[in-house]
Amino acid sequence: MNNRIREYRARFNLTQEDLARKVNVRRETIVFLEKNKYNPSLKLAYDIARVFGAAIEEVFVF
Amino acid sequence: MLYISNFMLDIFNLNPENMKRSIVLFIVAAITLATTAWWFFSASTRFQLYDLLQFGIIVMVVGLAIFVGYKRLVSAKRGEPAEDELSKHIMRRTAAWSYYISLYLWLVIMYVSDKVKLEIHSLIGAGILGMAVVFTICWLVFNFTGIKNE
Repeated sequence: MNNRIREYRARFNLTQEDLARKVNVRRETIVFLEKNKYNPSLKLAYDIARVFGAAIEEVFVF
Repeated sequence: MLYISNFMLDIFNLNPENMKRSIVLFIVAAITLATTAWWFFSASTRFQLYDLLQFGIIVMVVGLAIFVGYKRLVSAKRGEPAEDELSKHIMRRTAAWSYYISLYLWLVIMYVSDKVKLEIHSLIGAGILGMAVVFTICWLVFNFTGIKNE
Protein backbone atom coordinates (compact mmCIF):
# COMPACT_ATOMS: atom_id res chain seq x y z
CA MET A 1 0.00 0.00 0.00
CA ASN A 2 1.41 3.38 -1.01
CA ASN A 3 0.36 6.77 0.26
CA ARG A 4 0.50 10.44 -0.64
CA ILE A 5 1.02 11.82 2.84
CA ARG A 6 4.19 13.71 1.94
CA GLU A 7 2.45 15.33 -1.03
CA TYR A 8 -0.59 16.36 1.04
CA ARG A 9 1.64 17.57 3.85
CA ALA A 10 3.51 19.83 1.46
CA ARG A 11 0.21 21.10 0.03
CA PHE A 12 -1.08 21.98 3.51
CA ASN A 13 2.33 23.28 4.61
CA LEU A 14 2.50 20.92 7.58
CA THR A 15 5.65 19.50 9.12
CA GLN A 16 5.85 15.88 10.22
CA GLU A 17 5.64 17.06 13.82
CA ASP A 18 2.50 19.10 13.09
CA LEU A 19 0.77 16.16 11.47
CA ALA A 20 1.89 13.82 14.27
CA ARG A 21 0.39 16.12 16.89
CA LYS A 22 -2.86 16.46 14.94
CA VAL A 23 -3.40 12.70 14.71
CA ASN A 24 -1.90 11.96 18.15
CA VAL A 25 1.03 9.75 17.11
CA ARG A 26 4.81 10.15 17.37
CA ARG A 27 6.74 11.87 14.59
CA GLU A 28 8.56 8.58 13.92
CA THR A 29 5.24 7.01 12.92
CA ILE A 30 4.72 9.69 10.25
CA VAL A 31 8.28 9.08 9.02
CA PHE A 32 7.61 5.33 8.75
CA LEU A 33 4.31 5.97 6.95
CA GLU A 34 5.93 8.26 4.40
CA LYS A 35 8.66 5.69 3.74
CA ASN A 36 5.99 2.99 3.29
CA LYS A 37 7.50 1.03 6.16
CA TYR A 38 4.23 0.82 8.08
CA ASN A 39 0.60 0.27 7.16
CA PRO A 40 -1.57 2.30 9.53
CA SER A 41 -4.68 1.13 11.31
CA LEU A 42 -7.99 2.13 9.78
CA LYS A 43 -8.49 4.73 12.51
CA LEU A 44 -5.10 6.36 11.89
CA ALA A 45 -5.67 6.33 8.12
CA TYR A 46 -9.06 7.97 8.68
CA ASP A 47 -7.59 10.59 11.04
CA ILE A 48 -4.82 11.48 8.57
CA ALA A 49 -7.27 11.73 5.67
CA ARG A 50 -9.56 13.93 7.77
CA VAL A 51 -6.67 16.33 8.55
CA PHE A 52 -6.23 16.80 4.79
CA GLY A 53 -9.98 16.98 4.16
CA ALA A 54 -9.72 14.06 1.77
CA ALA A 55 -11.12 10.56 1.53
CA ILE A 56 -8.96 7.66 2.73
CA GLU A 57 -8.59 6.27 -0.79
CA GLU A 58 -7.26 9.62 -2.01
CA VAL A 59 -4.43 9.60 0.56
CA PHE A 60 -3.77 5.86 0.70
CA VAL A 61 -3.38 4.06 -2.61
CA PHE A 62 -4.26 0.35 -2.50
CA MET B 1 12.20 10.63 44.52
CA LEU B 2 9.22 13.01 44.58
CA TYR B 3 11.59 15.95 44.36
CA ILE B 4 13.30 14.44 41.29
CA SER B 5 9.92 13.67 39.71
CA ASN B 6 8.68 17.25 40.21
CA PHE B 7 11.98 18.60 38.94
CA MET B 8 11.62 16.54 35.74
CA LEU B 9 8.01 17.70 35.35
CA ASP B 10 9.14 21.31 35.60
CA ILE B 11 11.91 20.80 33.06
CA PHE B 12 9.88 19.02 30.47
CA ASN B 13 6.50 20.59 31.29
CA LEU B 14 4.87 17.19 30.98
CA ASN B 15 1.87 15.58 32.59
CA PRO B 16 2.57 12.86 35.17
CA GLU B 17 1.06 10.08 33.02
CA ASN B 18 3.58 10.68 30.25
CA MET B 19 6.42 10.79 32.74
CA LYS B 20 5.55 7.76 34.84
CA ARG B 21 6.82 5.00 32.56
CA SER B 22 9.93 6.94 31.55
CA ILE B 23 10.85 7.49 35.19
CA VAL B 24 10.28 3.80 35.98
CA LEU B 25 12.51 2.94 33.02
CA PHE B 26 15.29 5.24 34.28
CA ILE B 27 14.99 3.89 37.84
CA VAL B 28 15.26 0.26 36.66
CA ALA B 29 18.24 1.19 34.49
CA ALA B 30 19.91 3.00 37.43
CA ILE B 31 19.36 0.05 39.80
CA THR B 32 20.72 -2.39 37.21
CA LEU B 33 23.78 -0.22 36.62
CA ALA B 34 24.35 0.20 40.37
CA THR B 35 24.16 -3.54 41.10
CA THR B 36 26.39 -4.30 38.10
CA ALA B 37 28.95 -1.73 39.27
CA TRP B 38 28.79 -3.18 42.79
CA TRP B 39 29.41 -6.67 41.39
CA PHE B 40 32.23 -5.35 39.21
CA PHE B 41 34.09 -3.53 42.00
CA SER B 42 33.47 -5.96 44.86
CA ALA B 43 34.55 -9.09 43.00
CA SER B 44 37.48 -10.74 44.77
CA THR B 45 38.74 -12.72 41.77
CA ARG B 46 40.19 -11.45 38.52
CA PHE B 47 37.70 -11.01 35.70
CA GLN B 48 37.66 -13.56 32.93
CA LEU B 49 36.64 -12.86 29.35
CA TYR B 50 33.20 -14.33 30.09
CA ASP B 51 32.65 -11.87 32.97
CA LEU B 52 33.62 -8.92 30.78
CA LEU B 53 31.26 -10.17 28.07
CA GLN B 54 28.43 -10.31 30.63
CA PHE B 55 29.29 -6.81 31.79
CA GLY B 56 29.28 -5.53 28.19
CA ILE B 57 25.87 -7.07 27.48
CA ILE B 58 24.36 -5.57 30.64
CA VAL B 59 25.71 -2.13 29.72
CA MET B 60 24.32 -2.52 26.18
CA VAL B 61 20.84 -3.46 27.41
CA VAL B 62 20.80 -0.66 29.98
CA GLY B 63 22.00 1.75 27.29
CA LEU B 64 19.06 0.71 25.11
CA ALA B 65 16.64 1.22 28.02
CA ILE B 66 18.01 4.72 28.63
CA PHE B 67 17.76 5.49 24.91
CA VAL B 68 14.12 4.33 24.81
CA GLY B 69 13.32 6.37 27.92
CA TYR B 70 14.97 9.43 26.41
CA LYS B 71 13.01 9.00 23.16
CA ARG B 72 9.76 8.79 25.14
CA LEU B 73 10.62 12.00 27.00
CA VAL B 74 11.48 13.81 23.78
CA SER B 75 8.20 12.68 22.18
CA ALA B 76 6.24 13.83 25.21
CA LYS B 77 8.09 17.16 25.19
CA ARG B 78 7.03 17.71 21.58
CA GLY B 79 3.41 17.22 22.62
CA GLU B 80 3.21 13.76 21.07
CA PRO B 81 2.19 10.58 22.89
CA ALA B 82 5.04 8.64 24.49
CA GLU B 83 3.82 5.53 22.67
CA ASP B 84 1.42 5.01 19.79
CA GLU B 85 0.10 2.19 17.62
CA LEU B 86 3.43 1.73 15.79
CA SER B 87 5.57 1.54 18.92
CA LYS B 88 3.09 -0.89 20.54
CA HIS B 89 3.04 -2.95 17.36
CA ILE B 90 6.86 -3.07 17.26
CA MET B 91 6.99 -4.08 20.93
CA ARG B 92 4.43 -6.88 20.40
CA ARG B 93 6.26 -8.25 17.38
CA THR B 94 9.62 -7.94 19.16
CA ALA B 95 8.25 -9.91 22.13
CA ALA B 96 6.84 -12.61 19.85
CA TRP B 97 10.00 -13.03 17.78
CA SER B 98 12.40 -12.87 20.72
CA TYR B 99 10.36 -15.53 22.55
CA TYR B 100 10.47 -17.76 19.48
CA ILE B 101 14.23 -17.30 18.96
CA SER B 102 14.90 -17.73 22.70
CA LEU B 103 13.46 -21.25 22.56
CA TYR B 104 16.21 -22.18 20.11
CA LEU B 105 18.76 -20.32 22.22
CA TRP B 106 17.92 -22.49 25.23
CA LEU B 107 18.14 -25.59 23.03
CA VAL B 108 21.65 -24.53 22.01
CA ILE B 109 22.56 -23.91 25.66
CA MET B 110 21.27 -27.38 26.60
CA TYR B 111 23.39 -28.87 23.81
CA VAL B 112 26.47 -26.90 24.89
CA SER B 113 25.98 -27.92 28.52
CA ASP B 114 26.36 -31.55 27.45
CA LYS B 115 29.61 -30.85 25.61
CA VAL B 116 31.27 -28.27 27.87
CA LYS B 117 31.53 -28.44 31.62
CA LEU B 118 30.08 -25.20 32.99
CA GLU B 119 28.52 -24.27 36.31
CA ILE B 120 24.73 -24.21 36.32
CA HIS B 121 24.53 -20.51 37.32
CA SER B 122 26.84 -19.63 34.41
CA LEU B 123 24.52 -21.43 32.00
CA ILE B 124 21.41 -19.74 33.37
CA GLY B 125 23.17 -16.37 33.31
CA ALA B 126 24.23 -16.94 29.70
CA GLY B 127 20.64 -17.86 28.78
CA ILE B 128 19.15 -14.77 30.42
CA LEU B 129 21.74 -12.46 28.87
CA GLY B 130 21.24 -14.18 25.52
CA MET B 131 17.51 -13.51 25.74
CA ALA B 132 18.25 -9.84 26.46
CA VAL B 133 20.53 -9.66 23.43
CA VAL B 134 17.93 -11.36 21.20
CA PHE B 135 15.25 -8.93 22.40
CA THR B 136 17.53 -5.94 21.76
CA ILE B 137 18.44 -7.11 18.25
CA CYS B 138 14.79 -7.85 17.35
CA TRP B 139 13.72 -4.42 18.61
CA LEU B 140 16.45 -2.69 16.59
CA VAL B 141 15.59 -4.68 13.44
CA PHE B 142 11.86 -3.89 13.63
CA ASN B 143 12.58 -0.24 14.44
CA PHE B 144 14.78 -0.06 11.36
CA THR B 145 12.74 -2.09 8.89
CA GLY B 146 9.23 -1.21 10.05
CA ILE B 147 6.12 -3.37 9.98
CA LYS B 148 4.06 -3.72 6.84
CA ASN B 149 1.53 -6.49 7.53
CA GLU B 150 1.50 -7.59 3.93
